[in-house]
Amino acid sequence: MSKNDENKVNHRLKVLSQIEPSSKATNHAIQRVRDTIVNKEKSQQHASSRIWRNILKSPITKCAAAAVLLIAVGYATGRLSAPEPLDVEELKAALESSLKASLEPAIRQDLITQLNEQWQSAFAVSNAQLKEELHQQVRRDLTEFAAQTLAASGTLTNQRLMELIQLIEAARRRERQQVAAALQQIEQEKIQFRNGLLAVAAQTNELLGSKQD
Amino acid sequence: MQDRQKELLELLDRSGANLYTLLTRLTLREDIAEELMQELFIKLINSRSFDKAGNPEAYAHRAAINLAFDWRRSRKRNPLRLDQIREPASNDSSALGKLVQAEELDEILNAIGQLKKVPREAFVMRYIQQESYDYIAEQLGKTSHHVRALCSRALNHLREILAHNRHRCSGKETQNVKK
Repeated sequence: MSKNDENKVNHRLKVLSQIEPSSKATNHAIQRVRDTIVNKEKSQQHASSRIWRNILKSPITKCAAAAVLLIAVGYATGRLSAPEPLDVEELKAALESSLKASLEPAIRQDLITQLNEQWQSAFAVSNAQLKEELHQQVRRDLTEFAAQTLAASGTLTNQRLMELIQLIEAARRRERQQVAAALQQIEQEKIQFRNGLLAVAAQTNELLGSKQD
Repeated sequence: MQDRQKELLELLDRSGANLYTLLTRLTLREDIAEELMQELFIKLINSRSFDKAGNPEAYAHRAAINLAFDWRRSRKRNPLRLDQIREPASNDSSALGKLVQAEELDEILNAIGQLKKVPREAFVMRYIQQESYDYIAEQLGKTSHHVRALCSRALNHLREILAHNRHRCSGKETQNVKK
């Protein structure tokens, strides 16, 4: 774009920015808007009443009103020309009794069936629940008993072992004492035997000496 | 409803004249500006966004700008009849001068109407309302730098649009001469 065109654009924008409406027109426009704002609700009400007026004036509404009138007249004629109406109370009582007679056993049977079903289902549920609880309780008890038994048997075994060890120790002590006593006796007998031998030897020497003499 | 009425009346007292001037500048017609002003306030009465707007004046100005350019677009689709044509608002005194100037201003306003919404609002406030960048930034809820950039880009775009339109017109005239 040339410099000249740019100047033209700037000039036009400047002209636009300098346009001022007359004060009379401004005041008129503002006053009109003010009236519109103030009368907004009134105009809305007016508009709604105008709509109703238009609706009432339209031929469709007239036709509809005529149809409603005809229907009303027909209905009234029908009511007036109809036979004597039944006694409503009597009819109501008869209906009530017949309905009661026909419906009561069926309702009772139905109620019993429903109650039975409910009980059965509730019983089945509680039965299964009880079974499960019992099963779990037995399992818990067994586990506990096994643990206790194991602990008790361990303790008993230890006690028996200790007793056995003590018995073995006592037997060994007795054996050792007996062996010691036997050894002592042997030693004494050995000494006696040596003394005997020495006496025999002395007597033998004496005998041999006497013989040589 | 009463609060809204009071608020709108206050807005009218504060900014009514400015809004009317803005509409006159964008439509170049006082009668249309008056109609649009009426339409603007009726829209504001029924608008829910107006309640939520932090700055009612800025909201009303933006709505007025959009309304004026909507009118320009609709006018293109529905050309005026002879009885609807009134004297355009202009400061030039001679009849020919007025006509030429009205044509030129129409051209530039139509070109502004082709800009995107936010740049157009910033551009109108800056170049037609002659507002400061800080004021525009406050009205649009943007920074001053951002508004400067928006206006600059909008001006360049406007020049391109005008050049393109001129080129297209000259092409048509050449074709007509050849025929």
